[in-house]
Amino acid sequence: MKRAALALAALAALGLAGCGESDQVVVYKQGKYQGKPDGRPWDSAPLAQEQRGGTWNKGDKSSWESALNARNLTQNEYKRIYNQ
Amino acid sequence: MARMKFLVDAERCIECNGCVTACKNENEVPWGVNRRRVVTINDGVIGAEKSISVACMHCSDAPCMAVCPVDCFYRTDDGVVLHDKDLCIGCGYCFYACPFGAPQFPQAGAFGLRGKMDKCTFCAGGPEADRSDAEFKKYGRNRLAEGKLPACAEMCSTKALLGGDGDVIADIYRERVVRRGKGSEVWGWGTAYGPGKAGAAAGGKS
Amino acid sequence: MLLTRKTSGPAVPQARLARGLSGVLAKTMDRRAFLQRSGVTLGAGAAAAQLPFSIIGEARAQAKGAAKVEVKRSVCTHCSVGCAIDAVVENGVWVRQEAVFDSPLNLGAHCAKGAAVREHGITHDSHRLKYPMKLEGGKWVKVSWDQAYDEISKKVLKIREESGPDALFILGSSKHNNEQSYLLRKWLGLWGSNNVDHQARICHSTTVAGIANTWGYGAMTNSYNDEQNSKCLLFLGSNAAEAHPVSMLHTLHAKENGAKVIVADPRFTRTAAKADKFVRIRSGSDVAFQFGLLYHIFKNGWEDKKYIHDRVYGMDQIKTEVMAKYTPQAVEEVTGVSEKDMYDTAKMLADNRPGFIIWAMGQTQHTNGNAVTRASAVLMLALGNAGITGGGCNIYRGHDNVQGATDLGPNAQSLPGYYGLAPGAWKHWARVWNVDLDWIKKRFAAESMMGKNGFTVSRWADAVTEKIENVDQDSNVRAVIFWGHAPNSQSRGPDQLEAMKKLDLMVVIDPYPSASAAMFAMVRKDGAYLLPAATQFECAGSVTASNRSLQWREQVIEPLFESRTDHMIMYQLAQKLGFADQFVGKAGGKQNIKLVKGKGGMDEPEMEDTLREVNSGTWTIGYTGQTPERLKAHMRNMHVFDVKTLRARGGKDKETGYDLTGDYFGLPWPCWGTANEKHPGTPNLYDISKNVMDGGCTFRARYGVEKDGVNLLAEDGSHSVGSDITTGYPEFDHGFLKKLGWWDELSDAEKQEAEGKNWKTDLSGGIQRVALKHSCVPFGNAKARAVVWNFPDKVPLHREPLYSPRPDLVAKWPTHPDKKTLYRLPALFKTIQDKSVADKDSEKYPLILTSGRLVEYEGGGEETRSNPWLAELMQDNFVELNPKSAADRGIRNGEDVWVSSPSGAKIKVKALVTERVAADTVFIPFHFSGWWQGQDMLGYYPEGSAPIVRGDAVNTITTYGYDIVTQMQETKTTLCQVAKA
Repeated sequence: MKRAALALAALAALGLAGCGESDQVVVYKQGKYQGKPDGRPWDSAPLAQEQRGGTWNKGDKSSWESALNARNLTQNEYKRIYNQ
Repeated sequence: MARMKFLVDAERCIECNGCVTACKNENEVPWGVNRRRVVTINDGVIGAEKSISVACMHCSDAPCMAVCPVDCFYRTDDGVVLHDKDLCIGCGYCFYACPFGAPQFPQAGAFGLRGKMDKCTFCAGGPEADRSDAEFKKYGRNRLAEGKLPACAEMCSTKALLGGDGDVIADIYRERVVRRGKGSEVWGWGTAYGPGKAGAAAGGKS
Repeated sequence: MLLTRKTSGPAVPQARLARGLSGVLAKTMDRRAFLQRSGVTLGAGAAAAQLPFSIIGEARAQAKGAAKVEVKRSVCTHCSVGCAIDAVVENGVWVRQEAVFDSPLNLGAHCAKGAAVREHGITHDSHRLKYPMKLEGGKWVKVSWDQAYDEISKKVLKIREESGPDALFILGSSKHNNEQSYLLRKWLGLWGSNNVDHQARICHSTTVAGIANTWGYGAMTNSYNDEQNSKCLLFLGSNAAEAHPVSMLHTLHAKENGAKVIVADPRFTRTAAKADKFVRIRSGSDVAFQFGLLYHIFKNGWEDKKYIHDRVYGMDQIKTEVMAKYTPQAVEEVTGVSEKDMYDTAKMLADNRPGFIIWAMGQTQHTNGNAVTRASAVLMLALGNAGITGGGCNIYRGHDNVQGATDLGPNAQSLPGYYGLAPGAWKHWARVWNVDLDWIKKRFAAESMMGKNGFTVSRWADAVTEKIENVDQDSNVRAVIFWGHAPNSQSRGPDQLEAMKKLDLMVVIDPYPSASAAMFAMVRKDGAYLLPAATQFECAGSVTASNRSLQWREQVIEPLFESRTDHMIMYQLAQKLGFADQFVGKAGGKQNIKLVKGKGGMDEPEMEDTLREVNSGTWTIGYTGQTPERLKAHMRNMHVFDVKTLRARGGKDKETGYDLTGDYFGLPWPCWGTANEKHPGTPNLYDISKNVMDGGCTFRARYGVEKDGVNLLAEDGSHSVGSDITTGYPEFDHGFLKKLGWWDELSDAEKQEAEGKNWKTDLSGGIQRVALKHSCVPFGNAKARAVVWNFPDKVPLHREPLYSPRPDLVAKWPTHPDKKTLYRLPALFKTIQDKSVADKDSEKYPLILTSGRLVEYEGGGEETRSNPWLAELMQDNFVELNPKSAADRGIRNGEDVWVSSPSGAKIKVKALVTERVAADTVFIPFHFSGWWQGQDMLGYYPEGSAPIVRGDAVNTITTYGYDIVTQMQETKTTLCQVAKA
């Protein structure tokens, strides 16, 4: 409890004071379920059009990433307002 | 390479709790478990009140992973921190380690024993076949595997909560900072994603 | 908005985040306790707690196999922003909800309520009313629809026979769609009474009366989106961050791009937390604040003199009164705001134009509400901030369709479209309805009753209990139908309970039986029926957002359980009561509204045809161009509409080939002429910088052409762009067309219809068509009236509330004299105020009590408090108490307290100690019900349909007080005392 409180105090100081992005060395660790590996999102097929999902080529990570990045712009109302 | 992150714009968050119910709705999260919640600091203090939406930040160097005695956590290729509920023993260490209070423990059984840990999955499900019923029952929706982003961020009332690739959402935030002409710090990023280059997230002061 | 979260000081969030396991477990414990309290069986509760994701089972199991997936587009039912929703339906089960990023209104965004609407489609552990019920021997018992209809209609007809048609009163709903609202008003007209009203009475009736009398229409002048074009936003009486959260997307976007945001409020609200400037005013001092700003504006010559000369009548009278009465000293005394703060605020408004004033219930729910709203309009007129892009009065409506229901629906003072109740109005609508006017006349107790305003929802209880000699009709009200309306929204709870004791019959038609059922069962053994209505996700129809845009909702799912759509219930009751044919306009081999098969293969009026009937008759406010076909095309093609202007730059609807180019989203009314005119709708009212065919507009000529020798029409040269008449002009009628030499532009058929008619009553639409052809606005081109000579206060005047905390100010700013009859009842003002002063209420009850909205809940709250995703967020009613007031009373945060008022009633709530309120004020949200003065009423609800969260209603202790023009209730300023429980 105390530790968490301390961590939070530090967070309040650090977190609000300013921060940035460190080098992102993400170590990918394969998840598993009863010995089976967790699937990767781009290995699924896209949903039917009417279900409002993204479109990508099954198994192609970069096309999945572009689909998500394009969708990310829905969180930016500036794009909807000025670039349409 | 995509690196999924959350970003809360405290200048915009109005504590409407849209993110909270969007999460409940999409993932059928039961009563008593809050994968996401909104915190207001300095409530009622003129000029100082700020609201922030908090959930698992999917840290780069996640403390929960470090302390888990059964090693149930894993990180996906796109930087999402997930865990295996079949391995989880509900010990609660991850909760103590987490600087964001993200892990949740539903009550199980008559004696108040902790159940399996539950937390935000970045709407990426867990270690079951993607988009399967089994995955949904244990972890909720797998929106990433549908080409969608987390429901909370997609439905945020003021687009204060951003969720997606770190570079893309930092770009979105940067534009706002430039327009405002002030304030570039991003709440929680230092803790979640490391100190790094100051102001990089928002591109520095305008 | 968790109660536990809302204490002040930085320590709290840390404690909350760090609270950890114990906190989580405590919550789970709460839940178990709650499950027991709310009557969920122990087994089910325990199972749900153990299996986190078990609840998905049912819906998914049904959806297995050959899943038929459809996506239905609907609109959130929880506020007036009009957030679009995509509902994913699998084999008839609503399984998911997706954001509609294409919507120009909400861009996919939702608040807590909007993001939780799918819960409406979940059938397990639903708190809905599932089948018709009746109160028998003090117990709610299940009955069939047929039995309920039989018994209700027999009783109603008996009451009609004994006491006349006016003995029935219907509290209608702002949650009905446009078509249902319209049909309900028609229903009561055919029944033979004007005793019908809805939430608008206690929402924006003072706005509609005040603002329409100022410049023509009582609606919000611009759109939420248009705030992006603004430089200054003054929130006075609106907490948009909680009441209209998605509107803040536009507000904060504007702020990010340089607009100044000012919030003036008794509370430091969530909206105030986002403002550039916060001004704390005393509750109920609005006019003094507004005119205090005008004082500095006039003194420094900041008013827009050219604009005032061209487009405003009576500003000189305003100026005289402002400079004499609202000096900085007087204003500080009344509002508590210093001269410097007033000056700074006025300067900010003057320096940053165009700008908006934004309000909701904070301005309207006062005994002088009509004056407060007019003062807002006057302030904007002085600054030249009305009728322009980026400036005006953005008047945020509450319910999702309170705008549409006000425009078309059950109002006590008007037939649809603000036609009023004059003989001409009845004549007009009888023609539209295809019903014989003489037949309607015979339905009424007397022809004179047709023109008399009905009772208001704010005073339904007085209509039942007031001494008959004081009531302006032959009998008291004996039967009441709550048709989508909660009693805890009205003030003076205990008086409503007394009325329930006296009623012969109460019928509640609602998806959630609402507090009315429980209150009734608390004091009665029999005499009530509950009929389950379908929600708006279970039927189709159009809904009007606050910005006057119409959207078409598709039916998402079939009506759940035994519920039926509201329009089916109306039709079936009309069948039982003998006016079904008139209801659908069946006469002379013609039928206006066709019947279609609804639930269970039963007939119901078609919503499309109903809208077409609306289109054919509602010329006054331009509900004529919004055909179902055009609205549906808009819903399918939201992406073509620009967010800042709401205008389509291009695009064709694939399904119909309809060209969307130039349309404004949702064809915001007035959308003049018939659909053939292809008028694009009017995004900003009174904006003369555009051609009328591009959405331009002038101030309406409604009050003649001159007053005491002063010209009331716009000055020469002030007209909408492209107008063939370049001076002010009166409203169009047959005579004016002839005088202009434009009569012959009508076709022969049009001439035949238009002869003797005006732009409002010419059913051919010819008069409007010709006016538009000459780029003229059908309702004329006049000045706005800063002085409304037909109101009790011609110039808005500050008047102290009836229960004033300042007896010294009552002497200087007394309320109105009593009024003998207003909406069929006496209305007391001075009597009450004098008594309050004599009783020294301000000493016994030293705190100002104000009420308002929470983001998690809506209205009376039965619906939203039944939604677990929302209910979990706010589990107790509370009173916000300043640390000083709390300390003085020995009250700590989170403790139970009693709040009592001069009415004698008291309620038990949690104390929330916070600096959001000043030491002289307390705040209580108004969404709670289900407790009565400290007692849980669970046992009085029909089994399984009590909301998850219950609490004492603030309106149990609110006091007497009504606006002198509209009978709006005073719920924003009264007195109370708080004590530890």
